Amino acid sequence: MSGKKTLFYSTDLEIHFGGLYALQKINIDILENEILGLIGPNGSGKTTFFNVITGIYKPTAGDITYKGESLLGKEPYQISRMGISRTYQSSRLCLELSLLDNVLIGMHNRQKQGYFSAIFSRRKMIAEVADFQDRVVELLDVFNPDLKERMFRPVGELPQIDRRRVEVCRAMAAEPTIILLDEPSAGMTPDETRELMEDIRKVRASMSDVSIMIIEHDMSVISSVSERVIAINFGEEIARGTYEEVAGTPAVREAYLGKEVVHE
Amino acid sequence: MTKYIVVAAVEILVYAFFIFFLSVESAWILVATLVLIAGLVLARRFMPNRTQIVVDAFKSSRAFVLGLGAVLLLLFPIVASVVLRQGTYWMLVLIQTMIYLMVALGLNFQLGSTGMMNLATAAFYGVGAYAAGMLSLRLGLPAILTLPAAGVIAAAFGLILSVPIYKTKGHYLALVTLAFGYMIVLALDNTAFTGGAQGLMNIPEIRIFGYSFIRPLAGMHFYANYFYLATILLAATVAVFYRLQNSWVGLSLTTIRDDEIAAKCSGVNTAVWKLGAFATGNFFMGVAGALYAHMIGFISPPNFQFIESLVIVSIVILGGMDNLLGITLGAVILVLLPEKMRVITEYRVLIYGVLIVAMLIFRPRGLLPFKPREYHRSLLNRLRGGSK
Ligand SMILES: Nc1ncnc2c1ncn2[C@@H]1O[C@H](COP(=O)(O)OP(=O)(O)OP(=O)(O)O)[C@@H](O)[C@H]1O
Ligand SMILES: [Mg+2]
Repeated sequence: MSGKKTLFYSTDLEIHFGGLYALQKINIDILENEILGLIGPNGSGKTTFFNVITGIYKPTAGDITYKGESLLGKEPYQISRMGISRTYQSSRLCLELSLLDNVLIGMHNRQKQGYFSAIFSRRKMIAEVADFQDRVVELLDVFNPDLKERMFRPVGELPQIDRRRVEVCRAMAAEPTIILLDEPSAGMTPDETRELMEDIRKVRASMSDVSIMIIEHDMSVISSVSERVIAINFGEEIARGTYEEVAGTPAVREAYLGKEVVHE
Repeated sequence: MTKYIVVAAVEILVYAFFIFFLSVESAWILVATLVLIAGLVLARRFMPNRTQIVVDAFKSSRAFVLGLGAVLLLLFPIVASVVLRQGTYWMLVLIQTMIYLMVALGLNFQLGSTGMMNLATAAFYGVGAYAAGMLSLRLGLPAILTLPAAGVIAAAFGLILSVPIYKTKGHYLALVTLAFGYMIVLALDNTAFTGGAQGLMNIPEIRIFGYSFIRPLAGMHFYANYFYLATILLAATVAVFYRLQNSWVGLSLTTIRDDEIAAKCSGVNTAVWKLGAFATGNFFMGVAGALYAHMIGFISPPNFQFIESLVIVSIVILGGMDNLLGITLGAVILVLLPEKMRVITEYRVLIYGVLIVAMLIFRPRGLLPFKPREYHRSLLNRLRGGSK
């Protein structure tokens, strides 16, 4: 590995639901400014790992350290404030809200105006809204200018592919240090996937020092974007290294046999 | 210029029809009104271009629309005293409608904006009424203090439910509030301190700077005083909720409503926001209760039973969640209209039940559904202009 610093690591992380061990002895680290791919067959514990990081699930054992601080016992909103944002495997957008609002909520942590100015100082509130809306427009300009024309439409009226884009945008709008992407291209055609990855790359280039951890079933995506790959199965790590190294591991081939075709 | 004429003409016509509606004794006027409304809806549907002029006129002159509406509303006590045979009665009905509307707007902030069902609205409204009654009877506090104090106390009572509010979801919260509402009414019924089943009597009328509200106002019944106060309080309530909705507050709350996990992971401290929304909604219910207590002068536990909460919920569901205009419409339909047809009052619960079920089946999002937030017109135009 190069001289990048470790931003985040889990130590012997473990979680079980009743008798089911969804994660066992997971030691995963993310370096500054890297793209890490997380792969594994269905039900192997990938999404669960994201849920533990973001504080939705409390781990049964082990620890998570981010910027030298433990994330254990922290609420999801606190973890978000520390600079970790995410997308979800099945979309979690607010379908009745406009595209703009769905991205604006991603900037929640930087809002200065609150209850008081909402009621008593509308001018201040509207000025901040205007300022943030401009930033969303700038973000969309880089990410995918086509979305700008649909800014005021309720997200529920947009096609599936745009919704996934909006979700990525919302996560990026937080200007996080780590972005967790859970199958961002689920339900997309290969072309659409390529386009989305290109969009993500563009925004990433415009932001400084953001690490990405990406879960993907589409191996072509993983192989083209990630610098490092970790494979898990039944909640345990089975391989790590470059994509080629991981794909060549017998345990990985075995795990995927009959489920996914591993590109060589 | 023509837009102002169009708006003025429409508003004055509607107002005139409304007065006419109140003056006609026969219940057939309800049927006639329904036919008229159906006609207007059909006209809008089949002649979208011609009716668009009216819609545009209203949309493009919001200040004028509200201003003229306010003037017409303020003229009501005078018009009612002069034109209507039962002017005083209708004045009271309109005050009642405004009070219910305040409570419904409070509930809307909890249910419509944040997705928290509250089936104890009447009980919280009752807490406000009792708080105002006790504070003025026992401590001799003036109304200028009892009104806000009643709001704060109703909010504090809501916060007793803190744990279920931030821990439970959907239907559980509904059940918890339902039980809590019963408990409050039961407690009021059995506590000597609050007057027990007899309730509180002889609650002093409102006095502001020595001006007593039971004095006739310029020859009109003293209700006119309360009518004006209710109008002011309602206007303030609408303004506060409009501003909250069109701000980061509204955005955070609707995100919690639509997807709590997404809200949390975006940094929203959902527990605090939900408690804040619950307390805010309750505050306005409490103030409404205080106004009622001072006006009527007599309150007792049956006034605040579950059935009244049901009316409030119906207003929000019928009108449209998170749509202030829709909820106003809901209050007019469910509080004012039944007074026109006394027959209805006997079957009130049944009709509300049928209405809610029908709405949930045919128009689940209410008469006027939630619309994406605009925050402020200037922002919209700026971005539209900028993106071209
Ligand atoms: N809240 C929960 N309660 C019980 N079991 C759970 C819970 N969440 C996840 N699991 C189980 O944990 C295991 C791992 O699930 P997870 O969603 O993390 O898999 P995944 O790797 O993301 O799979 P996929 O590729 O299908 O998304 C599965 O067996 C799942 O059923
Ligand atoms: Mg998953």
